[in-house]
Amino acid sequence: MAFEAGGSMDAEAREVRALEAEIAALQRRCQELPAPGEKPSGVRYVVPVHPSGSPIRKSCQKLPQSDSEGWESSKDLRSHLGHLKSELSFLSTLTGFNIRNYSKKIEAVTNTEVTEEGTTKVLQRHRLSGNCNMVTFQLEFQVLEIQTKEKLSSAITDLNIIMEPTEYSELSEFACRAEERRDLLMFFQSLHFFVEWYEYRKHTFKHFKEKYPDTVHLPEGACSHCMEIHSTSRPGFELVVVWRIQINEEGKVSPKLDLLTKVPQRALVLDKNRVIETAPSSFQTLLGVLGIEAALDSLIKLLCVGNN
Amino acid sequence: MEPVNTLCQDGESEGGVLAHLEKLEVQMSRSHKKSEELPRVQRDENVLRTKIHELRHLRDKLRAEVKRRQARVKACSANVETNQTAEISEQQVLEKQKENVKAILQAYRFTGLSGKLTSRGVCVCISTAFEGNLLDSFFVDLVMEKPPWIHHHSIPVFIPLEKIAAAYLQSDLQRFLFSLCEYVNAYSGRKYQADRLQSDFEALLTVPLQRNSLCNLLSFTYKVDGRDQSFSFSARLLYEDLTATLPTDVTVTYQGMEASTHWEEHRASHEILFRTKPLHQVFASFSKEVEKLDLSLVS
Repeated sequence: MAFEAGGSMDAEAREVRALEAEIAALQRRCQELPAPGEKPSGVRYVVPVHPSGSPIRKSCQKLPQSDSEGWESSKDLRSHLGHLKSELSFLSTLTGFNIRNYSKKIEAVTNTEVTEEGTTKVLQRHRLSGNCNMVTFQLEFQVLEIQTKEKLSSAITDLNIIMEPTEYSELSEFACRAEERRDLLMFFQSLHFFVEWYEYRKHTFKHFKEKYPDTVHLPEGACSHCMEIHSTSRPGFELVVVWRIQINEEGKVSPKLDLLTKVPQRALVLDKNRVIETAPSSFQTLLGVLGIEAALDSLIKLLCVGNN
Repeated sequence: MEPVNTLCQDGESEGGVLAHLEKLEVQMSRSHKKSEELPRVQRDENVLRTKIHELRHLRDKLRAEVKRRQARVKACSANVETNQTAEISEQQVLEKQKENVKAILQAYRFTGLSGKLTSRGVCVCISTAFEGNLLDSFFVDLVMEKPPWIHHHSIPVFIPLEKIAAAYLQSDLQRFLFSLCEYVNAYSGRKYQADRLQSDFEALLTVPLQRNSLCNLLSFTYKVDGRDQSFSFSARLLYEDLTATLPTDVTVTYQGMEASTHWEEHRASHEILFRTKPLHQVFASFSKEVEKLDLSLVS
């Protein structure tokens, strides 16, 4: 019993001593730091405290030298930056590409590989992201630069493209092709033309919707890829213009318009001249002769005639 | 015992803590005296336990106080440091932003169109490439007046620059640039293919490559080794679409005298190949087994 009591008393006594020591250290610390009523004097380094309570006499933040040699003054920097920003803004408007982020890394691995005959190879990793109108892109690509005695050649050795939105199947197919060929330039050029056609389609459909609000319907809203023409006097008669934007193997962008007809069975029977049957091909001819806007306009007027 | 709050509120907090400790010591000696009546061991145990309890309490308070004061110091000194180093860190920030914008401007060359503002307008740089191979750059120095005009440029003379400018320069600058890009880039691509043919497949050409400066009319004679014999073909490639890197018109003719049953198949398949694949890649495929190639393409 006495042994146990003595043992527990020793433990407690130890704890008391430990607590007293800690309290003493904390009191010293308290004395060093200014009380809430005081103002801290001048600039002070924040001094970290060792768990034992003794301060580590080492400043944790070094103030940079305030000599301005080799640094532009803030004012010059600001105006220089302003100029660069306006250049960027101009370029962005001019090209239609808005590059928001870009970083480049020289690969440390096969950095400068000096091979026979003094050829050097440098591998660069690039990361680029931005948008072209409603399409946002994120690119990662590698460029291999080979410098021989005669010339310097650069080639893209790897290309990864992430594009949003993903619902344009033509775009995602096209992105895959560009990746396969590592054809970054074709990606950008075709993207530009795709977006141009996209905007033109949107604008054209909107125009017709406004001009003939009762006849024209855009099932998917402004960004619809098809336009329905309803005959209000003869419900059941409908023409649908499907307008796709295609990108071919070489990256050439072109519109592809097709006409679909929706007509009641009885009307088909009455159509001796097979006008409805031949409508889609007639439409192609019309497109070739009048161009897109005029062809669509005449088509809508055709059904509108019945409306008056 | 003084309440905790006073530690923060009045300036005598330090005094408060020390006074508290004094009080504690007094209390302890009092309780020590009090507990003298109890059996010595139990008395000591009680005393210790109480003391531990009190000490822990005090320690926690001190810890909290130290934390509070440290945080205050940090906040104050951060403010002071900020003021002192405000100018320098602003420079750092601006410098970083500047480098960032510069880098993005450089990155534009990957889109094919980049440029620099000039005193009178902009100098646009058109970068060309073919299937990932970065090729020559050309520039067009534009004066941005109403209407804009071309001050000088490095576009080759056989590119129809005047025609493109007449069509778009005054009305739609973006269209002008992208259209010009198409022509220049396609020329660069055709030139690259022709150069590669000449450099990589010289051995296969029995009559050297003939080309015009626009690289849209090429003619050459080449030999291909078939299963039993070798064929000699003459090819004429015409690229009517100047914005394309594949020919619109391909004529392959057989150059031999001997009657042969196989040459027609090869000839026809070669025509298709030249029309659908880049020139140097077609020749690269010739080095592989010819048979497999032909049969799969003719069908």
